[in-house]
Amino acid sequence: MPDEPNLGNVPQATVVPRSRARISVVWIIPILAAVVAIGIAVQRILSEGPTVRIVFKAAQGVEANKTFLKYKDVNIGQVTAVQLTPDYTHVEVTAKIQKSAAGLMVEDARFFVVEPRVTLSGVSGLGTLLSGNYIGFEVGKSKKKETKFVGLETPPVITGDQPGKEFKLTANSIGSLGIGSPVYYRRLQAGQVTAYTLASDGKSIDLRVFINEPYDKYVTEATRFWNASGIDVSLSASGLQVQTESLVSLIAGGVAFDTSAFVTGTGPVAAETTFTLFNDRTTAMKQPEKAAGRFVLYFKESLRGLSPGAPVTLLGLPAGEVTDVGLDIEPKTKALRGRVDVVTYPERLIERLSAGQAVEGAALAKSVAERHALFQRLVEHRGLRAQLKSGNLITGQLYVAMDFYPDAPKAQINWSQDPTVLPTVPSTIPDLEAKVSSILAKLDQLPYDQIGTDVSKVLATLDGTLKDVNTTLGAINSDVTPGLRKTLDDLQSVIATADDVLKKGVNETLSQVNATLEDLRKPLAAADVALRNADVVLKNADATILGRDAPVQQDLRDALQEITLAARSLRTLMDYLERHPESLIRGKTKQENP
Amino acid sequence: MRTATLTAADAGLVACEKCDLVSRPVEPAEPGYCPRCAAALESRRYHSIQYTWALVIAAAICYIPANVLPVLTTTALGSVDSDTIMGGVLLLYNTGSWPLALVVLVASVMVPLGKLGALSYLLISVQRGHVTSRRERTRLYRLVEWIGRWSMLDVFVDTFTVALVQLQPLMSVEPGPGVLFFAGVVVLTMIAAESFDPRLIWDASVRSAEARHA
Repeated sequence: MPDEPNLGNVPQATVVPRSRARISVVWIIPILAAVVAIGIAVQRILSEGPTVRIVFKAAQGVEANKTFLKYKDVNIGQVTAVQLTPDYTHVEVTAKIQKSAAGLMVEDARFFVVEPRVTLSGVSGLGTLLSGNYIGFEVGKSKKKETKFVGLETPPVITGDQPGKEFKLTANSIGSLGIGSPVYYRRLQAGQVTAYTLASDGKSIDLRVFINEPYDKYVTEATRFWNASGIDVSLSASGLQVQTESLVSLIAGGVAFDTSAFVTGTGPVAAETTFTLFNDRTTAMKQPEKAAGRFVLYFKESLRGLSPGAPVTLLGLPAGEVTDVGLDIEPKTKALRGRVDVVTYPERLIERLSAGQAVEGAALAKSVAERHALFQRLVEHRGLRAQLKSGNLITGQLYVAMDFYPDAPKAQINWSQDPTVLPTVPSTIPDLEAKVSSILAKLDQLPYDQIGTDVSKVLATLDGTLKDVNTTLGAINSDVTPGLRKTLDDLQSVIATADDVLKKGVNETLSQVNATLEDLRKPLAAADVALRNADVVLKNADATILGRDAPVQQDLRDALQEITLAARSLRTLMDYLERHPESLIRGKTKQENP
Repeated sequence: MRTATLTAADAGLVACEKCDLVSRPVEPAEPGYCPRCAAALESRRYHSIQYTWALVIAAAICYIPANVLPVLTTTALGSVDSDTIMGGVLLLYNTGSWPLALVVLVASVMVPLGKLGALSYLLISVQRGHVTSRRERTRLYRLVEWIGRWSMLDVFVDTFTVALVQLQPLMSVEPGPGVLFFAGVVVLTMIAAESFDPRLIWDASVRSAEARHA
């Protein structure tokens, strides 16, 4: 063991206390947690969009925290609360909108509940059957921000970005139209009815129609809209008219528009222009009458079949229409008479003047006095009178015809009266009746008895004649028939004779044929023998055919000679038959040596 | 109740936390290593109060998003449902299964909150050098430590549900961000409970506690 070294001077190792920070690193953990939590909170707040309130009449299937707001099928928010409005009449839906969609919340943005819908014009919202209803959204055009909205009851028919124009229509009644009803232009679907409301005064319906882009430019000042719903069947003095726009409009209703021919040279109108919705095409396309003259006509005859709207014609051309049919007490005589109010449209007639008379026409169109003067002249000097005429004999529809009756009693026209009384002449319909009755009277006067006796006389004569004919036929029967019968008998006996002769001949011939065949049998028997010999020869052939000069050759030769003989006699027979084929029927004639 | 007044620290000794051998430290500030098992000796856990406070505060911060954010997002037939813990409790209560609601309420809301409260109370009482009800506080600490392992039940159920309910077109369940924070609360409170040194409760006077662990 080595000596212990002196350890007295070995320095003592120092223990340096670990430097201990007063603040521990562990504080990083709460700081980190705080940063993360605050970060999430900040992100939430920053991503928070606006909260909007939408008031619906009914919010079917809308649930808090479940129902989404969707625009073009993209979520733009979520419903956070559904509650009743303070007055309990509506539902207020509170929804949180995503920040990205905050810009869409403008004044005229539209909200609506999307649910499955089945209408005549289609089925929509089928997807919501599985996913539940959602709130649909349509962008607005305004720039003003808004957080309170009134929800639509039905989804808008036209989406906001669809090109086209919207117009207003005023109608007396909505007919069978509804939201989504088609609008037709020349039977093409050009748009849809987007909304309708009762006018504030309750007297008309305000409709809104949306016309899609290519068609909206055809909506001009001259455009007339009319209700094209269903079938329009009208029976008037002009006959039966059936009009329909399309099968869909027949069921779902529709609106049609077209340009009136009477208004010209106008360009497309601005959106939101108001138009009148007419009941039918005829009314819609009627010329707007500016210069209308009102007249009253008094008739002493039946006005049955005359109804408001019946045409008034001048020389058969449409000149106006009946506006009212009623009664009037004549002031002087206190007699009751029929009163017919008519309105005339002189422009229509002026339009029909020939081109060369445009100047006169223009003058007439302009000046009322001019028209009155002309009319007065016609009434007072030419005998222009109104008359009831039957437009349709079957239905009995009447119309008012203005024609010239120079023989009619003189009449004046007093323009100071309003409406002016227009002189009339009685209808020709009663005349017709009178004629018919006179015909009937004449018919009545016909001597039916005499005609009867005459006819019976004629019949008696006819009877005699027929009897004569009968006698003649009897004579023919008695005179001609026996001769004919005799002739026939003769003919029969001739035929019988011929029959006998023929029968006998044929029999004889057959027996001769028989004999000939007998003759034939002999050579055939010889041939048979020969063939038998040949058979024998052939049977012996095995033994005898070896040598050329064998006895079998001799036998064969003999046999062949026999066959030759038989063949010859056959040939003779055949020759004979060829020359005398009749011998088969008639037998062999006496042999004459050639 | 009388409790023993002499502690190892008071006697200038240090007990090994791993093998419980009481030994004389090299220096009170630098006790050295256990002569028997060579574990680092510490009279009181290093910065125990600071550590515990930091973790308790972190857990408290996480507790807020854990309850505010949804823990489960259910998509059924196109309708999406996000539920927070409290929402789930209310849903269970409203649908009539109040015992279940109570279980969830206790396990997921009250227990983490109670743990945070208990740890805060222990920390404050130690810092202030309270000398009363030390034994009760020790029991409270043991309870907090014991209950920690059961708190992950919620997270466990959540992950299970998410994994199992995946009927894609019809129904699916997605975990919400709240569950992460909830797990954070549980883990942080567990570590906090672990880092708290219960011996501090028994340190007699305010002065001695402050002297050693200011």
